[in-house]
Amino acid sequence: MENIGALLHGFTVAFTPFHIGLMIVGVLLGILVGVLPGLGAPNGVSLLLPLTFSMDPVAAIILLTSMYWGALFGGSTTSILFNIPGEPSSVATTFDGYPLAQKGRATEALAFAFLSAGFGALVGVIVITLLSGWVQRFALKFSSPEFFAVYFLAFSSFVGLGGAPMLKTIVSIGIGFALAAVGMDSVSGSLRLTFEFDQLIAGVSFLVAVIGLFGIGELILTIEEGLHLKGITAKVSPRDVLRAMAEMPRHWATLVRSALVGVWMGITPGGPTAASFMSYGLGKRFSSFRNNYGKGEPDGIIAPETADHSAGTAAMLPMLALGIPGSATAAVMLGGLMIWGLNPGPMLFVERPDFVWGLIASMYMGNVLAVVLVLSTVPLFASILRIPFAIIGPAIVVICFIGAYTVGSRIFDLWLALGFGLLGYMFKKLNYPIAPLILAMVIGDKAEDAFRQSLIMSKGSMAIFWSNPLVTSLMLLALVLLAWPLVARLINRRSAH
Amino acid sequence: MISRATAEIVFAGFTALFGVVIAHGAREFGVGWSASGPEPGTFPFYIGAIITLASLANLAGALRGRWRGAEPFMTAQQGGALLRFIVPMVLFVIAAIYLGLYVATALYMFGVMVVQGRYRIWYAALVAIGMPVALFLLLEKGFQVSLLKGPLEAALGY
Repeated sequence: MENIGALLHGFTVAFTPFHIGLMIVGVLLGILVGVLPGLGAPNGVSLLLPLTFSMDPVAAIILLTSMYWGALFGGSTTSILFNIPGEPSSVATTFDGYPLAQKGRATEALAFAFLSAGFGALVGVIVITLLSGWVQRFALKFSSPEFFAVYFLAFSSFVGLGGAPMLKTIVSIGIGFALAAVGMDSVSGSLRLTFEFDQLIAGVSFLVAVIGLFGIGELILTIEEGLHLKGITAKVSPRDVLRAMAEMPRHWATLVRSALVGVWMGITPGGPTAASFMSYGLGKRFSSFRNNYGKGEPDGIIAPETADHSAGTAAMLPMLALGIPGSATAAVMLGGLMIWGLNPGPMLFVERPDFVWGLIASMYMGNVLAVVLVLSTVPLFASILRIPFAIIGPAIVVICFIGAYTVGSRIFDLWLALGFGLLGYMFKKLNYPIAPLILAMVIGDKAEDAFRQSLIMSKGSMAIFWSNPLVTSLMLLALVLLAWPLVARLINRRSAH
Repeated sequence: MISRATAEIVFAGFTALFGVVIAHGAREFGVGWSASGPEPGTFPFYIGAIITLASLANLAGALRGRWRGAEPFMTAQQGGALLRFIVPMVLFVIAAIYLGLYVATALYMFGVMVVQGRYRIWYAALVAIGMPVALFLLLEKGFQVSLLKGPLEAALGY
């Protein structure tokens, strides 16, 4: 019950006219970046982050999270109307969303997507509200070995559940850790891996990496595929929305199943993309509407959208309570928290309850607002995609580079963004996952510190990672997840024989 | 045309080399145990080693023909489209360094719109000047964020 009390206090923090104004601005900006090719939630938040350095943290996080909700909605809009996923996590929405829109039921398709997304987000926030107190008390028992075990678990779940090839995921995580180690070492104070290169003393900013990897990389990919915008015009008529609403209860099983998948994948960092694919796959197998999947079945929109949004919101729980982001966007926000001078982790609940509960309260309001705003502005944003690419393409390039420069006012960052852009393109083309790299860049230093402090505590013995039931079970779970792709391959091979 | 296998091999070679550079660079700071715990190079050294090993495994898989019959990595047509996008982008970065981000933005927008988009000169000029002006008002006036400036801004007194 104390959580409910804290939440009510959070509502009083969040609901000032200024904050509600920020929510509206954030959601609209989010829909914009979600709709535009190349810009998405992680780099939208990265671009906006430098502008919030001087803001109050509560206001800043409300702006950034609202942008995140908006971007998730914007991504589904383009999936349905143009068959172009605005976000990686809305790829699965194209499978049934676009066919349904082609049948002339675009408004219904959008309404199904937004309503189920809203439902998923709501489930995510409720889970956060109920569990955060418990997770925080649990996390207060942690010392360095437990923290390292949790970080290890986070990366193992990317390898085990992320869906990308195992070795490529490991390479991606490794590169992220290596980049995080560049510059000042926070334990010894020595400068590492700068290779006598002055520009590297300050380290490599993860924000520049996100802007390059997601923004520029994605844009290069869009160019290569050639933009074929065969848009379906959508005029949102209230009658179609109502019809979709009336049909929603029939899909209750999919809604519940997908929300649970999403919450699970958001908390154990599998991320929204993996969640939406997994949920679509489960729906295809178990849903009573499974025979129509792929032909424009509403259930096939509801499954990925619900999971996508519940994972996106649930990813905030480990970010706040443990300092481990459950998605790439949450990783960027975690970086933001540190820049604003907050210390993510269990103590945040004790030190800054106004911040934590203000944020959680704003998530209720922000998502409701996002559903309303996105339904009322879809035609406007869809028309943006009709602007010719010769204008919108260079404009996005300019915004990305300006964003990279505002991170630290360094010319070197412009070159870095370019380099990361090419790297991001290669990553996408060759199926290397990007999110684990970002996660490793953001929490690399913390993971390394936890590892070194544990070894200092144990005078160099690795046995400290097996020294009590808590850390042992975390390590065991992590090892199981790490080995999971190998085990799955063995099982498949055996059943094939 | 570049085949998927070639691209996989080259990129795995690149990540393997990156791992070696990191592991080698880390050795300078000590890889082992000191009085104050693990030396600063230890963690990066093992990270570099893991990257190298995983990359070599990727490389071996690609060399053994895992990508035989896969879709090509890039066709000549795609390569052309990429160059037409990437070359102006690189020129934009170089221009930004010497002329500042605002002027570079104007030149880049104008160039791409006229050459690739075949817009009329006056229309392209309007967009190319309008965008940096709007950005200037938003960033410098609205958010008090200062961007990289060049000789033109200096002449105008900024």
